[in-house]
Amino acid sequence: MGIRFDSVTVAYDGNVVLDSLDLTVEPGEVMALLGPSGSGKTTALRAVAGFVRPASGRVYLGGEDVTDLPPYRRGIGMVVQSYALFPHLRVDENVAFGLKARRTPKGEIRQRVAEALELTGMAGYARRHPRELSGGQQQRVAIARALAIRPRVLLLDEPLSALDARLRSGMLTELARLHRELPDVSMLYVTHDQVEALTLADRIAVMDSARLRACGTPRELYRAPTDAFTASFVGGANLVPVTVTAGGVSLAGTELKLDTAGAAVGARATLCVRPHLVGLGEGPNRLPGTVREIQWRGATHRLYVEVDGHTVMADVRELKAPPALGDTVDLHFAPDDGVLLPAGVSHG
Amino acid sequence: MAEVVGNPKVVRGRARPRGGSRKSKTGPRPFGALAWALPPVAALVLFFLYPLALVVRQSLRPDTGGTSLQAYADVFASEAFRHALWTTVWLALAATAGCLLLGFLLALVIAFVPFPGARAVARFIDVYLSFPSFLITLALLFLYGGTGVVGSFQFLTTPWGVLLAEVTYFTPFVMRPLLAAFAQLDTAQLEAASSLGARAPRIVRRVILPEALPALAAGGSLVLVLCLNEFGIVLFTGAKGVTTLPMLVYGKAILESDYPGACAVAVVNVLISVGLYGLYRVVSRRAGA
Amino acid sequence: MLVHSRKARWAAWAVFLVLFLPLFALPLLVILGASFATHWSGALPSGPTLDHYRSATRGEALQALTTSLVTAVAASLLALTAGTWAALAGAALRKRHRRVLDALFVLPVAVPSVVVGLAVLVAFSQPPLLLNGTRWIVITAHTVLVTAFAHQSVSAALTRLDPAYEQAAASLGARPAYILFRVRLPLLLPSLTAAAGLCFALSMGELSATMMLYPPDWTPLPVLVYAATDRGALFTGSAVAVVLMAATLLVLFAVSRVRTRASYR
Repeated sequence: MGIRFDSVTVAYDGNVVLDSLDLTVEPGEVMALLGPSGSGKTTALRAVAGFVRPASGRVYLGGEDVTDLPPYRRGIGMVVQSYALFPHLRVDENVAFGLKARRTPKGEIRQRVAEALELTGMAGYARRHPRELSGGQQQRVAIARALAIRPRVLLLDEPLSALDARLRSGMLTELARLHRELPDVSMLYVTHDQVEALTLADRIAVMDSARLRACGTPRELYRAPTDAFTASFVGGANLVPVTVTAGGVSLAGTELKLDTAGAAVGARATLCVRPHLVGLGEGPNRLPGTVREIQWRGATHRLYVEVDGHTVMADVRELKAPPALGDTVDLHFAPDDGVLLPAGVSHG
Repeated sequence: MAEVVGNPKVVRGRARPRGGSRKSKTGPRPFGALAWALPPVAALVLFFLYPLALVVRQSLRPDTGGTSLQAYADVFASEAFRHALWTTVWLALAATAGCLLLGFLLALVIAFVPFPGARAVARFIDVYLSFPSFLITLALLFLYGGTGVVGSFQFLTTPWGVLLAEVTYFTPFVMRPLLAAFAQLDTAQLEAASSLGARAPRIVRRVILPEALPALAAGGSLVLVLCLNEFGIVLFTGAKGVTTLPMLVYGKAILESDYPGACAVAVVNVLISVGLYGLYRVVSRRAGA
Repeated sequence: MLVHSRKARWAAWAVFLVLFLPLFALPLLVILGASFATHWSGALPSGPTLDHYRSATRGEALQALTTSLVTAVAASLLALTAGTWAALAGAALRKRHRRVLDALFVLPVAVPSVVVGLAVLVAFSQPPLLLNGTRWIVITAHTVLVTAFAHQSVSAALTRLDPAYEQAAASLGARPAYILFRVRLPLLLPSLTAAAGLCFALSMGELSATMMLYPPDWTPLPVLVYAATDRGALFTGSAVAVVLMAATLLVLFAVSRVRTRASYR
């Protein structure tokens, strides 16, 4: 069962928070909505859930137009950042809530609650109250509660952001496993964290300023971003303004080889290179510069090198003898690791 | 050159309150919502607004029949009414001022010069608020009344006795919002101020008082209205010399059976109280209390 | 800490005690002391006796206690129902309409209780609703007076209620009525009991409106306290007042026990 947004626009008091979104989530697909706060990603999710009413456009669930249906008739499962577990109900009562509301027969409720708790590894906690559980456990109960009603789609709104870093990576693995065990459930996963999106999603929709910027598989977006915002938000990126030449680009007089994909010679463009693809020392596409800052990150060193007035970041394997601040070094990158983006507003 | 690190904090676009992730209703259903509000409003109209309207009507209908403003003319002409009006207003104002001063002082000590049992005192104040006001006068009757401990000078039958009782009873109404406000005051502010060499009176004036103003405004105006409307305290003094507007209403209606007169006084009393209470709501909303 | 020197601290506490004890603790102690005494002409009450309590817990006084309890319970429940209903309905309204509703329901606080008593007396001494002379007129007046407080506390609790709960329930397929009874009301339970306690205490001590309209066979405790003091029986009045305070506190204590359990869940 898929989700389809058909030019959905949402406005509060004349303030557009979602601007004609067109997006399709295929049945069984995990789609991440990735963007900074205020980008409209949560609004998009709430439009699917039925908590905001689009000013225009339609929302479809499995081909059915649900735009005018109240939330309780949509058959969606939803997990939010605060979990919203009912504090006055036990864990099993929380999980049974949706089934009871639908007047499911008692025997079936018992069986499906057990199933859902088993699936999320919470079977041993059925008779506890939410306040007796840790954040990660509450999270699992929230997921079990959403899954118990066998939803057509699962909506996850920043589900991991209330957890600390270690629990978060554990829950990510857990969510990936859940998706493998429930291959038919589509998931719409709202997050501002690129790691979550890259790890979990089949496709990522990048949102910014109420608009969809780009949509594609994590690999596509990472390897071949189509705009500067996506490049910077999905993984880090060096973004340098350049001029297109015959065989590549020119950065302040330095010729760099690059596939320009037929861009007009002399046009202004933005060069995008991932920091981990930038090497230290001699090589093709040499960029001489001055070391301004060095950060040791355990397995890697990050160098901030000033190249002709621009700072270029390079992540290199831990250096035995890192350069000193102010040293002159050479950076380089392989011609097919550079991506040429349209000249745009600079970010950051 | 754009420098964008790993997980960027991109701040772009219009500033928007919390990404619109909270507070929106399940689709507006204004008609149904209005229908649901109807039964309680109907009950309020039947048991409160309709009776009030009848009071206004009765005040315009003397026993002799017809419609006239005679009752109002009589009331305004009477010395007793003007005296009661003046007594009510100055008593309420003086009691409010007293409550604000006393409440501020006491709350200050409880909050910022804590002593063992300060929390018990705060609890006691909550309990105190659930007792009726006339108990205070009853106690004062023992202390200052005709056969009283302190002596039988007729203190209680003067407005000063009522004032004392009102200050005593209503001060906790000021202390409660104040203590709530003080609890939210960041002690780091006080420490910073005193580390900069400010002395206690200066800290109170410059740091604590501004923070307490909304609570003072809210508590003070509530006390003002409650004092204007206070009846039990005055009734229990048994004082013939102290007559307030509510006493006048009671006297005219129950003791003299002069309903048009009682209703006219009641209307005046309501106008003063509701006017002041409206002011209180506006002020406290402005002050964000 | 505002005051650092030891001396200044002791001074602040001394001022506090000098103001606090005589003003707030003393009146209650006086009433308590007087209720056990026959004379009070010296510094302390004298002639210890339990006679006042004997008369304060039987006959007329016992009946007044029952009257007060029945009135307060009835008025609190009615006010809680009306106030909660209005607060719930108000929460679903648009801002402009909600303001009007809030203002309407807060009005009884601003109107003098004596006037509320007078108004109810005037309105229900004539057809179509003739309540004068019955207990219902007292209960009606008390309900009107305390509804405002019930409405205010429930409204405040509703605005603090995280909408995520209702939304989670709705996404799970619960209809609005189901959400109301299975999610919102249970979550509001602590505030509802607090509001009930407040209404009860206010009704127990209500004198102003009651004086305007109580029928002879429905005399609440405050009226009895007044009657006793008015005829000079201060000591008996004190004993009745202590009974009134004790009954109020007992019920408030029970209510707060319910509240602790409700919020613990």
